[in-house]
Amino acid sequence: MNKARRKNALLASPYIVWIAAFIIIPLLFIGYYGFTDREGNFTWENITTIVRPEYYNALGLSLLLAVISTVICLLLAYPLAYILRNMNMSKQGFIVFVFILPMWMNFLLRTYAWQAILDINGVLDHFLAMFGITDFNIINTPAAIVIGMVYDFLPFMVLPIYNVLVKIDDNVINAARDLGANFWQTLFKIILPLSKPGIASGIIMVFVPALTTFVISDILGGGKLLLIGNLVENKVKADNLNLGAGLSLVLMIFIIINMLFSNGDDTDVNTVKKEVKK
Amino acid sequence: MKNISKKIYLALIILFLYLPIFVLIVASFNDSKILGNWDGFTLNWYRELFDNASIMNALKTTLILALLASIIATVLGTLACLTISKMKKSTRTIIMSITNIPMLNAEIVTALAFMLLFVGLGISLSFSTVLIAHVTFCIPYVVLNVMPKVSQMDNNMYEAALDLGATPFQAFYKVTIPEIMPGVLSGFLMSFTMSLDDFIITHFTRGSGIDTLSTKIYTSVRKGIQPEMYALSTILFVTVFVLLFLVNYGPSTKAKKSVTTFVFKSKMRVAMVTAVVLIFGVVGYFALKDDKNYIGDLYVYNWGEYIDPEVIELFEEETGYKVHYEEFETNEEMYAIIAKGARSYDVICPSDYMVEKMIQNELLAEIDYSNVPNLQYIGEQYMTSAEGFDPGNKYCVPYTWGTVGIMYNKTMVDDEVNSWSILFDEKYEGQILMQASVRDAYCVALSYLGYSINTLDEDELKEATDLLISQKPIVQAYVIDQVRDKMIKNAAALAVIYSGEAIYMQEENPNLEYVVPDEGSNVWIDGWVIPKDCQNKEAAEAWINFMCDPEIALMNFEYITYSTPNEASRELIEDEAIRNSQIAFPDDAVLSRCHVYNYLGKEGDELYDYYWTMVGGASSE
Repeated sequence: MNKARRKNALLASPYIVWIAAFIIIPLLFIGYYGFTDREGNFTWENITTIVRPEYYNALGLSLLLAVISTVICLLLAYPLAYILRNMNMSKQGFIVFVFILPMWMNFLLRTYAWQAILDINGVLDHFLAMFGITDFNIINTPAAIVIGMVYDFLPFMVLPIYNVLVKIDDNVINAARDLGANFWQTLFKIILPLSKPGIASGIIMVFVPALTTFVISDILGGGKLLLIGNLVENKVKADNLNLGAGLSLVLMIFIIINMLFSNGDDTDVNTVKKEVKK
Repeated sequence: MKNISKKIYLALIILFLYLPIFVLIVASFNDSKILGNWDGFTLNWYRELFDNASIMNALKTTLILALLASIIATVLGTLACLTISKMKKSTRTIIMSITNIPMLNAEIVTALAFMLLFVGLGISLSFSTVLIAHVTFCIPYVVLNVMPKVSQMDNNMYEAALDLGATPFQAFYKVTIPEIMPGVLSGFLMSFTMSLDDFIITHFTRGSGIDTLSTKIYTSVRKGIQPEMYALSTILFVTVFVLLFLVNYGPSTKAKKSVTTFVFKSKMRVAMVTAVVLIFGVVGYFALKDDKNYIGDLYVYNWGEYIDPEVIELFEEETGYKVHYEEFETNEEMYAIIAKGARSYDVICPSDYMVEKMIQNELLAEIDYSNVPNLQYIGEQYMTSAEGFDPGNKYCVPYTWGTVGIMYNKTMVDDEVNSWSILFDEKYEGQILMQASVRDAYCVALSYLGYSINTLDEDELKEATDLLISQKPIVQAYVIDQVRDKMIKNAAALAVIYSGEAIYMQEENPNLEYVVPDEGSNVWIDGWVIPKDCQNKEAAEAWINFMCDPEIALMNFEYITYSTPNEASRELIEDEAIRNSQIAFPDDAVLSRCHVYNYLGKEGDELYDYYWTMVGGASSE
């Protein structure tokens, strides 16, 4: 037995070395740079910079836009996943693909395409002009950034919810109906509770990238709206790695909160089964 | 009824998802280089795609990277799943939590962490650093797919195989592998897709000469993405789409099994066939194409869209050096990369004040002018100006020069434009494009206020900062080279821009006019320098000499339209209007009110960055 365990540990060692070297140690480097100045002396300054108005405004705006985008994604994705679940079997694979397929076109290009659509004298303007609507400008506003975020991250909300919904046994739903529950009661008492793990994964998959993006705000915000991701990127560009690392540490606080939220909700399929048995 | 509303909803979402893709596909057939500006049908971009070495190289790097990263990640991840599952629960939980960090953490934090690791340990960025980063962020996706299969696996099967006389290897090969294979394959596929689409992590960890499609797009976008890129993306997209369609509606479809196996199988087939087609295609292409013998490599780092691509080919033919050409957007971005030693280049083209900064920080090597005989063609007055930042002309050979001014659209602006004040006029709310680079933005505000563009006086800087903040609500966007497309499209009325862009823009849109305001402005020189850690100084000097050749300088001038300091080359300009253009070659009256930027020292730089961040963070309402 002992020998088997030692052999197992030996086989696992390349992997353990890899994650130690390339996951743990880089994070320690962030910590080191975040708490030192250029000369390598200890300082709190990189962290406390966040209380300067231009920094916490950026953080506040990022949190706000990330929450809005996550909520919109959820509201769009849930009915969508539900509709997809109820569609006829042979089409299902194809339709799920419809949501993965756009990812084969580079995400930067897709975001630039949105810029061309929303821009002044852009595709949308030409389209609206046919109906006599002019002066509809949302490029370089928070709304444009939210559209970009919802667009880029929607599949990450749809797929986990869909995956949970297809696992719900039709008999469970039918049983609820037979026992007299109407559509809304079935939805709120049966389907929604059972799909919680999918919703939780969806939120995690959308919220963190939305909170920390710098590309979408760069392309669709016209450089007028700074998000926290832009600040980190700007500091790295301006060769201030210490401040960049300090801001990353602040960001990680929010990411950890998000991770705890994910662990609090058991995303294991077994939970679904357990709840079905209740 | 209900079904119809469901279908409409589905259709709307699909429209939302595919609208940008449609725009891109249309762009690949569009004669105009500007996205969203239809100019007639063409197939040119498809034709030119295969001759566009930089895009084809980026495609090759992207595919090789994705393939290697997903193979390594799949092997490591699968090994991890098989061994971790046998460990104690507590150890298992710890390892699994660590594994998931790259998936749950913000990409920008992961990217910065890798960058700090490599830079901190003094490892210069290269293909391997990107590969390591990609493998690491792909592993969690492999584990995610393989782990459930491993936990479902019945260990008795393996034991039984051993009891029946199989060696552990045979048992593993015959029993375990087939059992977990579906998970392994979908993990591989997911890794491949993730690696292919990644931008942020690659952006932070790539070495010099390494461009993936994503980083290529990001650095080329400011000057307008090359339409060949739309053509390539369309080909990739349509290939995957057709394969998908065949897989789903082809005769071999045996659906009606469980959805997951169905989805999984079609996914696999698509992935396999796509991968095979792509890899064979690209490898085949390079096998046919890449048969030249080069005598050495030259790494060039230049501004975006700052050379005639044909010049690079001519240089390769004439000298036999293989050119690895890369672009930057701002002096500051370039400096950060050189100063950190993150990537090394042989020849770079910074602006005046940045040359001064690099000299002071001992980052440059002296040029051996005996290898640059063509220097004789550069006008004396430019060499004298260059002494302002490069005393003794030891380090820098001027390449282009120009002024900073206002470009405006005559049909949209009815006031006379001769002062920076027009950029602060609320009448033009939403019509103004400002420069996104620190020094140019402050050049506008400081010149307008009547202060030196090199001031270090905090009160003056504060005043300029307040002015820029008060201007923010009427600014449409802060951009760099995007000014070009936006002004040509009539999407803005006024823009701060370099004189070199003006000639090109006027050709495209005759309503545009360029002025250097009366309050004065900046005159700048960009020149070639050789960094200290240059690997091939001979090639770098050959490059500089080649750039000073009058014929070559003329080609570049005609392509990029930035004023050339090459007197012999200016004489060769055929069009008299351009040869004597006040925009390209302004007279002394204009030049006397323009000043060069000086390097402000580390504190000065940080001061400007401090105030500029305040402008960036200020509300735009």
